[in-house]
Amino acid sequence: MEGRGLRGTGTVEKGKRPAAGAEGVRSPTVEVEETFTALRGRLLELMRRGVESPLSDRAFGDLALEVFRFQCRAVPAYGRFVARRGVDPEAVQRWEDIPFLPTRAFKVAPLMVGDPRHAEAVFRTSGTTSGLERRGEHYVRDLSLYRHSLLPNFQAHMFPEGEGMPVHSLLPSPLEAPDSSLSYMMGEVLRELAGGQGGFYWDPRRGKVREGFLEALRGAEAAGRPVLVVGTAFAFVWWLEEALGSDKVVSLPPGSRILETGGYKGRSRALSREELYRGLEAAFGVPPCRVVNEYGMTEMLSQFYEPVLRTAEEREGPLSARYHRPPPWVRTLVLEPSTLKPLPAGEVGVLAHMDLANLGSVSGLLTEDLGRAVSGGFQLLGRSPGAEPRGCSLAMEAFLEAGGHRRRSSPGGGSAR
Amino acid sequence: MASLFSSWQLPRGFSAPILEGEEGAPSPPPFLRRLALEPRHIRELAAALRRGREEGLVGLPVFRIVEAADRVAARFLDPGDPLAQEALAWLGPTAGVSSPMARIILEGMVRDWTRPRLERLLEEEFGDPTVLDAFQSTARGGRRRALGLPVTFHLGAGSVPGVGATSLLRALLVKSAVLLKPGRGDVVLPVLLARGLAAAEPALASAVAVIYWPGSRTDLTGEALRVSDLVVAYGDDETVGWVRSHLPPHVQLRAYRHRLGVGMVGRAALGGTAWATARDAARAVVLFDQRGCTSPHVFVVEEGGGVSPRDWAALLGEALREMEETLPSGPLEPETWATVHQLRGAAELEEEMGNGVVVRHGGAEAPWTVVFHPGGELLPSCLGRVVRVVPVPDLHQGVALLSGWEKYLQTVGVAGAGEGAEALAEALARLGVCRITSLGNMPWPPPWWHHDGVGPLQALVRWTDWEPGV
Repeated sequence: MEGRGLRGTGTVEKGKRPAAGAEGVRSPTVEVEETFTALRGRLLELMRRGVESPLSDRAFGDLALEVFRFQCRAVPAYGRFVARRGVDPEAVQRWEDIPFLPTRAFKVAPLMVGDPRHAEAVFRTSGTTSGLERRGEHYVRDLSLYRHSLLPNFQAHMFPEGEGMPVHSLLPSPLEAPDSSLSYMMGEVLRELAGGQGGFYWDPRRGKVREGFLEALRGAEAAGRPVLVVGTAFAFVWWLEEALGSDKVVSLPPGSRILETGGYKGRSRALSREELYRGLEAAFGVPPCRVVNEYGMTEMLSQFYEPVLRTAEEREGPLSARYHRPPPWVRTLVLEPSTLKPLPAGEVGVLAHMDLANLGSVSGLLTEDLGRAVSGGFQLLGRSPGAEPRGCSLAMEAFLEAGGHRRRSSPGGGSAR
Repeated sequence: MASLFSSWQLPRGFSAPILEGEEGAPSPPPFLRRLALEPRHIRELAAALRRGREEGLVGLPVFRIVEAADRVAARFLDPGDPLAQEALAWLGPTAGVSSPMARIILEGMVRDWTRPRLERLLEEEFGDPTVLDAFQSTARGGRRRALGLPVTFHLGAGSVPGVGATSLLRALLVKSAVLLKPGRGDVVLPVLLARGLAAAEPALASAVAVIYWPGSRTDLTGEALRVSDLVVAYGDDETVGWVRSHLPPHVQLRAYRHRLGVGMVGRAALGGTAWATARDAARAVVLFDQRGCTSPHVFVVEEGGGVSPRDWAALLGEALREMEETLPSGPLEPETWATVHQLRGAAELEEEMGNGVVVRHGGAEAPWTVVFHPGGELLPSCLGRVVRVVPVPDLHQGVALLSGWEKYLQTVGVAGAGEGAEALAEALARLGVCRITSLGNMPWPPPWWHHDGVGPLQALVRWTDWEPGV
């Protein structure tokens, strides 16, 4: 399997496999390694078919249960979590019935198939405003699964015409932020889908946008070639404050687009999504119908996009009607908030994702995000604008969740301003 | 009973149109009928209050205000009185608390509006309360007089019932006219208190306005800041920051920010009284469903007592379970439930890892959760009766856990500190704690407490010194 030309498969595959001991007796470690390799092969095959090849409920369910059972054996902490709930992995008949692991568990222990010291990468959630809470850590055993998941999904939703374009990101580069899953993702996109054209323009040390960003925008303006601008809501708000009302306003060529990720969930007085998108139009000349929201998290190797660029009819309509679409190797459940039982379509509950790309850690994840199932995916629901805090007691949320949907390490992830 | 509660009490002779339908608010407050307000209403209201105070309240002897409050308190405590009935009917649904909780909250708040409690408040604050009525001689010659500023705007954000009513009454005692915008869950008590006061004392009827509007109506809130002489704001740092940045320079601000309550349990409370201690602790958590500024988020528990911190955490869980039956939780927001599941799941994983963590909780039926967390940090709870128990070798090491949180400390409930109590209190005071009390009294600071470190009436008055030789 190792010889198939996958880039960057890491240390675990590189002959670290322990000896199998006496002939014919496979040690548990060997069994885990072999099962991982086999499942990974099937998943990569699935991902290569792209996001437009649907997977039947049956096919997804069978694969999901295999992955779940494997992770119960191969990630002992998760196995114990499942056992504590009185669930026998072999007896579970439907993937919807598995115990979903709360994402905050990633703050507690390295959750990885095999030895965490052999992780190819460790992605960390953003620090908090208080700096007092532990950060979540996603030990990624095999980056090829991340790459194979993110690239076709990004291509389909951001470059549906097929052609890539320069990508200018208001993010630190992967070298500057090696623990940011978002920077890693955009590094891959830059190399694989944008022909290396573009750059990273958030200076993490100074907490501001680099000088070169404006030049890059003006260059695109002058050349008349469309570009993709990527950023967190926080970074965009920073730029809007800098650019609006100044000579830094640009009008990017037709066909340009924006990828915006997270940041308007939490605080009542942060910019509303409508205000943010109006600001983006004023500062970049990109209309709201060409601004796409991506929902992702450090703990997940797959992402969700709003399918606004894909089809003409989906482009219309108010922001409130938008939804996020999972790739075929991810399914999302909406659970009743207290009982965590699945809810009928349309009802608001807590989101749980089954992300098969997480083969090397834990696939069944319970989030803190609220949403409702709609045809084709789910709608994310933030706290309603203007909602008032609940009491005069300091609540954890005010400290830990100010960053909105995204909890992966990214500029401003810890603060809405 | 009408299906909506009218969320206002206006000064005599003032009116505004009632809001028909919803005002495009994305999350309309349930159960509330609202006024259709424009900033001009706020301006007109402030002018009317200013006049009403000039013509009546400012000349009303302070004992008459106390008497009026006392009469209203008696009505709230009389089960046959419509005021009490309306309060009990509406408090639970609007504040999101269960009806047994609503009853306890009502009784607890109303007790502080009675004459003995208010007289003690005035005495503690001014010695001679008639200094609020006229110039009084001071011991060393000269005279002085205290008077609240003419128009005070009270901004409540949140859903702790009682915050607004307390604030309103404090201002009236120093003869300030009151414009109160209560938090969404705190509308019923101030409206009914204001209604009762207006009926009890005509001079008060022209000097009080209570009106709810949603926090998103920053045009109304901004206008209220501009037309007042002093603003009393209750809210999180973001709210208070917003108020500060929108306040004209001549308008004074008293801000009561969100706080973090802590319980400290010493060895002396971990012997035969350990169960009683756990019950007191549980009650402090449960009251106001942990939303009060005095509500404990963390218990620091001393090792080496008759009952270990780990076992005491189990007792605390048992007490919370029992109290779920006698004082059930109100409905919890989905967001909070989501966080409760996260905390439980992470703690369960820690327990499974053998980190010494033990987690107990009320399952899908009840959000209460106790996490015994050796080596744990002090972190705010997600609320909803979720607490952490952190063992310490002695309580003084517990004080070290609090450092880093000075900005948010207010009430510390202490049990069983024994001979170390004096030194502990001193250490807490130096850290910035402004109230040290028993676990059982945590939810109920007396009216005369130094609220966030400042006398509650002194915070509202302006003194006039009349020096000798005039």
